[in-house]
Amino acid sequence: MNPMTHADLPAISEIWVYLSGSPLLALVLTLSAYLIGLTVYERSQRNPLANPVLIAVVLVCLSIGVLDMPYAQYFEGAQFVHFLLGTATVSLAIPIYKGFASLKGRMGVLMLSLVAGGLTSVLTAVGVARWLGVDESLVRGLVAKSVTAPIAMGIAERVQASPTLTAIFAVSTGILGAVLGRYVLDALRVTAWWQRGFALGVAAHGIGTSRAFSVNAEAGAYASLGMGLHGIAGAVLIPYAVGWWF
Amino acid sequence: MIQGLVQLFIFQALGELLSKFALPFIPGPVLGLVLLLAFLALRGHVPAAMDLVGSSILQHLGLLFIPASVGVVLYLPVLRANAWAISAALVISVLATVAVTALLLKLLAPKD
Repeated sequence: MNPMTHADLPAISEIWVYLSGSPLLALVLTLSAYLIGLTVYERSQRNPLANPVLIAVVLVCLSIGVLDMPYAQYFEGAQFVHFLLGTATVSLAIPIYKGFASLKGRMGVLMLSLVAGGLTSVLTAVGVARWLGVDESLVRGLVAKSVTAPIAMGIAERVQASPTLTAIFAVSTGILGAVLGRYVLDALRVTAWWQRGFALGVAAHGIGTSRAFSVNAEAGAYASLGMGLHGIAGAVLIPYAVGWWF
Repeated sequence: MIQGLVQLFIFQALGELLSKFALPFIPGPVLGLVLLLAFLALRGHVPAAMDLVGSSILQHLGLLFIPASVGVVLYLPVLRANAWAISAALVISVLATVAVTALLLKLLAPKD
């Protein structure tokens, strides 16, 4: 690019400084990366390994690396997207409410399994990580990782964990659960759709839930219930657990 | 559509207020969720406008955690140093969570 030949136009670098100072660039980057992620995901017949969020995060990380844009500057623009997390959390009441309709007196059983599953999630993640000598700054990010990401990040702030690490671990957990969950369920001969769905929702939140929905509608409804209830229970209980454990 | 968005914002704001002044150990949006759940239970159905907006937001929930997740660039060195151990912890934990939850459901479920 030679600015001498375009003397009547503002230099590219000037346009660039102007654009990168407004939230527009970060927003366009975030939204287009997500669209690309979604397209790849659809093309792959919704293979959980082609997770749209993971693809988008990699794309945005590469882009801001190439553009030499500091993360803080990116986030300043992208915070408009980030803000809606709270609204999304509130909206989770809608699938939970709809899920209640199909409970048929299973509430007690579901709650017991949920608490046991939630405890297992925190204890095994933190236990294995410490046993393998993982850096303590990362361990805290693991405590909320089975909770749906918007709530997990709220919990992270309350237990002095990094919301970023928590989000990354939550997304990874969701992908792992969506990919590996069925093998565990088959090995244990768990055949009822509602049980399979609920277990996936508790362990792998939103990503597990969308996996469950793509297999069976009843499994999906129970998965969103499991995800939602785990979110509420986690928000109330995890800060206490961290209080006496760390 | 705007109506549904406003309804959701109102519950979010109520949750934030409740968290700030009464229950600081629970995140505001989670309290908003609980309040909305109580409201829906009292009302007996989901208002159409709220259902439309809520479902659209939840359908693209993944988009909303991209900005925070991109912060991973700040943690790459420490993550790389612990990559195997962290992966092992995540895999073992998710397998154990699915197993415990599903087994309990199977053992405790009312036979029908």
